[in-house]
Amino acid sequence: MSSVKISNLEKAYGNVKVLHRLNLDVEDGRFVVLLGPSGCGKSTLLRMIAGLESVTGGDILFDDKRVNDVHAKDRNIAMVFQNYALYAHMTVRKNMAFSMRLNKTDKKTMDEKVNWASSILGLDEYLDRLPKELSGGQRQRVAMGRAIVRDPDVFLFDEPLSNLDAKLRVQMRTEIKDLHQRLKTTTVYVTHDQIEAMTMADEVVVMRGGYIEQSGTPMEIYDNPNNLFVAQFIGSPSMNILKCEVQQNNGAQSAVIGDTHFPLPTNSSLQVGQIIHYGIRPEHFHVSTQAQHGSIVGTVKVVEPTGPETHVYLNIAEHSLCAITRDRIELRPGDAIHLQPDLGHVHLFDGDTSNAI
Amino acid sequence: MTKRALPLRWLTSEHPLPWLFPVTSLLIVFGLYPVLYSLWLSFYKRNPATRKEKFMPSWNWEKLLSDERVWDAVQITFTYAFIALTLQLVLGLTIALILDSDKRGFGVLRALMTLPLVVPPAVTGMMFLLMYDSSFGVISNSLYSLGLLSPSTPILGTGSTALWGVIVADVWQWTPFMVLIMLAGLRALPREPFEAASIDGASSFQAFVFLTLPMMSKIIALAVLIRGIDLFRIFDYVKVMTDSGPGTATETLTAYAGTVYFKSANFPYASTVALATLILVLITASLFIKIFKVRF
Ligand SMILES: Nc1ncnc2c1ncn2[C@@H]1O[C@H](COP(=O)(O)OP(=O)(O)OP(=O)(O)O)[C@@H](O)[C@H]1O
Ligand SMILES: [Mg+2]
Repeated sequence: MSSVKISNLEKAYGNVKVLHRLNLDVEDGRFVVLLGPSGCGKSTLLRMIAGLESVTGGDILFDDKRVNDVHAKDRNIAMVFQNYALYAHMTVRKNMAFSMRLNKTDKKTMDEKVNWASSILGLDEYLDRLPKELSGGQRQRVAMGRAIVRDPDVFLFDEPLSNLDAKLRVQMRTEIKDLHQRLKTTTVYVTHDQIEAMTMADEVVVMRGGYIEQSGTPMEIYDNPNNLFVAQFIGSPSMNILKCEVQQNNGAQSAVIGDTHFPLPTNSSLQVGQIIHYGIRPEHFHVSTQAQHGSIVGTVKVVEPTGPETHVYLNIAEHSLCAITRDRIELRPGDAIHLQPDLGHVHLFDGDTSNAI
Repeated sequence: MTKRALPLRWLTSEHPLPWLFPVTSLLIVFGLYPVLYSLWLSFYKRNPATRKEKFMPSWNWEKLLSDERVWDAVQITFTYAFIALTLQLVLGLTIALILDSDKRGFGVLRALMTLPLVVPPAVTGMMFLLMYDSSFGVISNSLYSLGLLSPSTPILGTGSTALWGVIVADVWQWTPFMVLIMLAGLRALPREPFEAASIDGASSFQAFVFLTLPMMSKIIALAVLIRGIDLFRIFDYVKVMTDSGPGTATETLTAYAGTVYFKSANFPYASTVALATLILVLITASLFIKIFKVRF
């Protein structure tokens, strides 16, 4: 087991910079999730940690030892590749046992490990098949198996669940988390699924366009997004964002868009006339069919009951918003709906820089 | 659909025969006909004195089986093919592995590699004949000065080394062919499994043994098959360099067929020996395809 430290790491392909001076500290035994939209450089960063991509600038340290020039085979890592990278001419069993075969593990341990992994991954019936005889999801699980039979210093996962069905995905998520809690192996896990990130991570690192936008525990990121991008990327349905102007009414400030006045927290130090992004998560509205003190009125567009809660998509003036309520209220498209923002959970972002105020 | 005029209607993909006709007729004229003609010829007994031929179907074939020179030639052919093939395969794969790089200059090296292939085999034979020459040949003289060879036993003039002398010329000319095929295979290998293997802790040698070789097996088998068939038909180098000599030390089957044809003008028996070569190639190739499960 070892810690992974990344300092001022840069990557360029020719003239194209894909990673910009990244800094990241993964403590020994932590589960860190890299989260970001497609093409933001997650795989590139992971592959650099693995030693599969050369380093353009900066350092990668395992346990404070610089490993920039250490070959992948000597880094003692296990990795699940985004494209599986299975050995096409080997059976599932041989794929999983390959690393053990290389370091001359005895046959008994090898079989035990493979059987253990295949039962976790539900691959028992497929052990003697070739990769080409498997479905995408099964192949992905073989790739997973190949990693978990190892006893590495660091686990690297590149979207290991992306091809599984919803049920299997939840199940595997739990298995991975359970595995990590037992083995306590430092793990870097790439995903673009924010639910996966929230549920599994000790620490989430949100990336965009080759930059780290924010890192912290899932809750820190959820509660205090640094900027508009992180705010909208985390949470589902995502945070409502409205571009407003700050105005002074009856001694109190409010954020105004069209004719609608959104109340502002009293402690915010805003200037009248300032342009801001007013952000509030759907679950931080109090929803009611009756007008309340300071409530905002909108028109219901779509109602989506999910069971425990109901998602209401509505229009205020020409802006679409989403609100979530756990109350069972009768709403039909076209009805008027009254929202009261929970002032403790309003997020304000600068109109120009999009950074949190 | 409107009916097209008759000749055009025959030229659609629904009627394969017109399309197959050109290549089929070429095959029949240049492939099948000579074989059948040889077969027909092999059924005649030639009287060298009268120069008359008489229909005696089993005469030449019986002679073939009892002809010691044929069995010698079979053995020499196999030895030649086996040694030359092994050398070409090992060298070809090694050179291909070295040249399989995206670094600057390797493209040029790959192109240079093909040069021996464009030299006509007879010219290659001449070239090596000169290099083996015991008075001024560069190869012979180098070996003399290294003490590996003495001028009293010239390479091509000594029974034990003559076959090797011919094999070297063949290897020089045809290793590039192996390199080309192997390079095509190596360059087409996916990168991902190799990355996975290095993560799994494989050294580059282990990756070669456990990934490259199995992934290349089909291409290697195909290359061995193509080169092997070609080697069984070896004629030009032997003809130019040793003319089967000294004695019959380098007399391969086709060389023997040539001798029978050109020197004794026994056309029916020459055809029989040539057909025997064909049969040998067919049997060996089929066995190879069976044993190594070669798929096209
Ligand atoms: N070999 C390469 N040459 C040039 N550009 C590359 C190369 N590999 C990746 N890139 C670029 O680097 C950027 C980051 O790619 P990367 O694969 O790390 O994205 P990602 O975050 O893993 O995306 P996804 O979620 O789709 O897998 C992309 O813009 C991509 O186009
Ligand atoms: Mg990726």
